[in-house]
Amino acid sequence: MCICLLAACSTIDCPLNNGVFTAYKLTGTVTTLADTLTISTDISDGNDSVLINRDVNVDSFLLPVSYQRNEDTYFFKIYNKTSSTTDTVRVEKDNKPHFESIDCNPSIFHTILGVKYTHNRIDSIVINNANVNYDATKAHFHIYFKSASN
Amino acid sequence: MMRRKLISTYISRALAISLLLLPMSAMAQRPKLLVQTKDTIPMFRGLAVSADLVGPAQLLFGDYGQYEAALRVNLKDKYFPIIELGYGKANANDISTRLTYKTNAPYGRIGVDFNLMKNKHDIYRLYGGVRYAYTNFKYDVFSPGLTDPVWHDHVEYSAKDVSCNYHWLEFVFGVDAKIWGPVRLGWSARYKRRLLHDEGPLGNAWYVPGFGKTGGSRLGGTFNVIFEL
Repeated sequence: MCICLLAACSTIDCPLNNGVFTAYKLTGTVTTLADTLTISTDISDGNDSVLINRDVNVDSFLLPVSYQRNEDTYFFKIYNKTSSTTDTVRVEKDNKPHFESIDCNPSIFHTILGVKYTHNRIDSIVINNANVNYDATKAHFHIYFKSASN
Repeated sequence: MMRRKLISTYISRALAISLLLLPMSAMAQRPKLLVQTKDTIPMFRGLAVSADLVGPAQLLFGDYGQYEAALRVNLKDKYFPIIELGYGKANANDISTRLTYKTNAPYGRIGVDFNLMKNKHDIYRLYGGVRYAYTNFKYDVFSPGLTDPVWHDHVEYSAKDVSCNYHWLEFVFGVDAKIWGPVRLGWSARYKRRLLHDEGPLGNAWYVPGFGKTGGSRLGGTFNVIFEL
C-alpha cells in the first residue's frame, strides 16, 4: 500500500507566470513618459481592443501577442492637455505551440522576427530579446520616445 | 659425594625435561586462530523471473502505468544482475484544460542488486542496487483548440507522434522473502535521476514509459512476484 501511495504521489508543476506577453522598456532620453499613454490593437471584427488605457508615468509595459497571426498591429496614442499623437507599431513574429503538462493550459510561444513603426512620438524600437515565452523579466523591446518638445 | 652426584643428575634431567616441555606449553597458551571454512556455495545459484504488480494497478485505477517483467541471475546469493523489460502506456485527459495525452512504448533497465544481509544464504534478502534505463517513445497531444482572448481567433492545438527519448538512473532499495517453494514476494523503492533527454519541439513529455510522470515525484516503487527457476 505504501509503495502504491509513494508511486502515486505527484504534484502539478504549472508555471506561476503562465501568461505570454511582450515586455517594452523605455530607454534613452525619455525613460518615464509624462504624457498619458493608451495602447490598442486591431482585432478581427474591425474594432479596436484597448490593451493599456490612459496610463501615466509609464517606464515599462507588457502587451499581449496574438496566438496565430504573423503580424500584430498596435496603436500608441500619446496625449496631454494640448496635443495628441498616434504611432502605429507592427510586430512580425512566428508562433509555436508549447505543451507543459495536461494539467497546465496550452500556450503559444513566439519568436520576434521584426518590428516596424511610425515616427510621430517614437524615435526607435530595438529588439532586445526575440524569444517570447512565460519569462518577461528581460525586456523584448527597448523603445525610445522623442521628448515632448521635439 | 655419591649424594651430590645423584642431586646434580636429577637437576640436569629436570632441566632437560622442562626445556623439552617449554614449546608445548607456549603453544598451549597461544590464542586459537579462527579458521574460516571455505564457502562451498557455487557461483551460479540460478535464475529468477518476476512480474511487477504496481504498474498494472496504476493502469487499472489511473491514466497511466506499465507492464513489467524481470530476469535476475543469482551469483553466490550476493550479487544479482538483473534485466527489466516493460511496456508503459498513458491515455490521460484533463477536464479543465481539455487536453488529452497519449503514448505507449517499451522500455528497458539493466543493473545489479547486492544482498545487504549478513547471512547471504538466508531466505530473506535485503537489496541495494542500481539500474540504467532507456526508452524511445512518441506521444500525441489533442485539444479542441484555443480562442485568442484578445484577437478572438480560433487556433488549432494538437500534435501527433512527437518523438522523444529518455536515459535515466534508478537507485533501488528492496526486500524479498521466500514464501513457498520457488515463490518469493518482494517490494522495492526507487529513486530516479534523469541523465539525458530529448522531449521534442513541443515542450515537455508529460508521461515517460518506465520513468513515470516527468513533473512529479522522483520516487517510485514495485511489488514483485518472483519465481526461482
